[in-house]
Amino acid sequence: MANNAVSLYLDPQIRDWVLFPITLVMILVGVLRHYVMVLLQSTPKKLPRNALREQRALARSQVLRATAAYSPLPPSFFHAMTESLSEAFAAGTYLKDGPPKEGEAPAGPANPLTDPSAMEGMMGGMKTQMVMMVPQMVIMGWINFFFQGFVLIKLPFPLTLGFKSMLQRGIETPDMDVRWVSSLSWYFLNFFGLNGLYRLLLGNDNSADSSKDAANSPFASLNAAPTGPADYNKLFKSEIDNLEFSNAVYTWLGSDVEDRVLKRYNRLPQTTKAR
Amino acid sequence: MSLSNSLQKLASYRSNSSRESQNVFKIGSELLKAGNAPRDEEGWAFLEQLALAAIDLDRLDVADICLQKLTEKFPASPRVEVLTGIRMEATEPITTVLEYYNELLHADPTNAAAWKRRISVLRRARSTDKAAEELIEYLDTFYTDPEGWLELADIYVSNRQYTSALQALSHALVLNPQNPFTFVQFAETAYSSGDLPLALKMFLLAVDMIERDIESPEPSPPTGLALRTWWGIKLCTRHLLDGSGTTTSPSNTDVPKHVQSLDILATERILSPYKGKELETQRHLVENWVSKK
Repeated sequence: MANNAVSLYLDPQIRDWVLFPITLVMILVGVLRHYVMVLLQSTPKKLPRNALREQRALARSQVLRATAAYSPLPPSFFHAMTESLSEAFAAGTYLKDGPPKEGEAPAGPANPLTDPSAMEGMMGGMKTQMVMMVPQMVIMGWINFFFQGFVLIKLPFPLTLGFKSMLQRGIETPDMDVRWVSSLSWYFLNFFGLNGLYRLLLGNDNSADSSKDAANSPFASLNAAPTGPADYNKLFKSEIDNLEFSNAVYTWLGSDVEDRVLKRYNRLPQTTKAR
Repeated sequence: MSLSNSLQKLASYRSNSSRESQNVFKIGSELLKAGNAPRDEEGWAFLEQLALAAIDLDRLDVADICLQKLTEKFPASPRVEVLTGIRMEATEPITTVLEYYNELLHADPTNAAAWKRRISVLRRARSTDKAAEELIEYLDTFYTDPEGWLELADIYVSNRQYTSALQALSHALVLNPQNPFTFVQFAETAYSSGDLPLALKMFLLAVDMIERDIESPEPSPPTGLALRTWWGIKLCTRHLLDGSGTTTSPSNTDVPKHVQSLDILATERILSPYKGKELETQRHLVENWVSKK
């Protein structure tokens, strides 16, 4: 191809009426999308107080466990705290609906499709998804309909043949130089490459970038289900074991603190220095 | 002071959450008067800061201007509502303020800031038992608030319920294990409750933490919190040595080893800041106290 002296000559009209419009439309659609998303964003729903309490109860044992190995608490205080926490977890004191009644089967996690509050979150996800997908589909249809098979631009640097399918989508020629970019490929390059520009225009946490859509599809979270309503009763029960474990690794920072302080001043009496 | 300079100063006060009402008001009211208040996002934080400072200094006229601007911009913001409440506390009778906070809490039971204000108003109204009750309920929901635990400990101490205070402080300790002030407070509370071994241990932990970064602490005299902590150590060791305090510990803490050496060390550390001619008289006073049995 390199020795093939025949070169394409692109009509400057293509540059003015195809290349620039596609780029401009994609940028503008991204900006528009950002603002539509801002409008669509519903304020996060407020949790009632008892639900908040249930959600945060785990933090109690977590901070306790995090410091257990070098705990600032004297043994009597530490053990009193783990004990009362374990009891509360076992009795279900922190559960949203109060301790479960005797003989009552513990309710499993609610089905997200029947729980109205979970449904609302999913609808929100769908809504944003629509705003993400629809404009991209329209633009792609527009390009395919009007500019199918157009060669838009010649890259100023050589590339290997492997890039052919990426840069010349929509043009099925075996021997055109890889440096030529087709209209559809130009669309994809913009699709993935404009994020930096959006960040300049709209700030860091903009919602104009479409390439991260796939990650937050409403169904992705449904399959993984970590965001679904957690069964706190189970979580609390397993936390009891964790607390028992932290009881075992517990040491008090203060158990030999006098040695440490005296040693810093070189005042440690000889008898203990020898050991 | 130039405009950007003063704005920067105010922003640094905000990010360090230091109150500095006098300075904030001086800089802020000038900016406000000159119409130089920042107009972007930062402007609203500035107005909030200035309003609080103005209430501190009883310049309610300035506070009202700020509040009005904020209310216009954010009509239903919980933050502005709480700020309005603080402004009301300055002039309105306590029952009105309590009523206002009750309304806020009724509308949104998870409004932590309003809840805390309500508790502080209750405490100021001398209904300590009610305040303590509310604070316990608050902490039951918002466990991870060390300020709340410290306040609860303070309430208990004012009622001489030292054991309960120590329990509240132990929560604060777990939440803030890197803060020597909490350790010192714990130690002093333990000292008040008569648990000398525990107090000594906690004082030592605090000293260990404060002087951790100093390579050789010997030559430099202790300052600030460290000095206070050494005084605490001296108090504990003295009582432990002369037997005037009980060595039994309600928390079953063992008496630290080497109390004698600790006592000598603490005496030296206490005396070390009093050097030179001009501090002669003070040094004598301290020496007298130290050698007194």
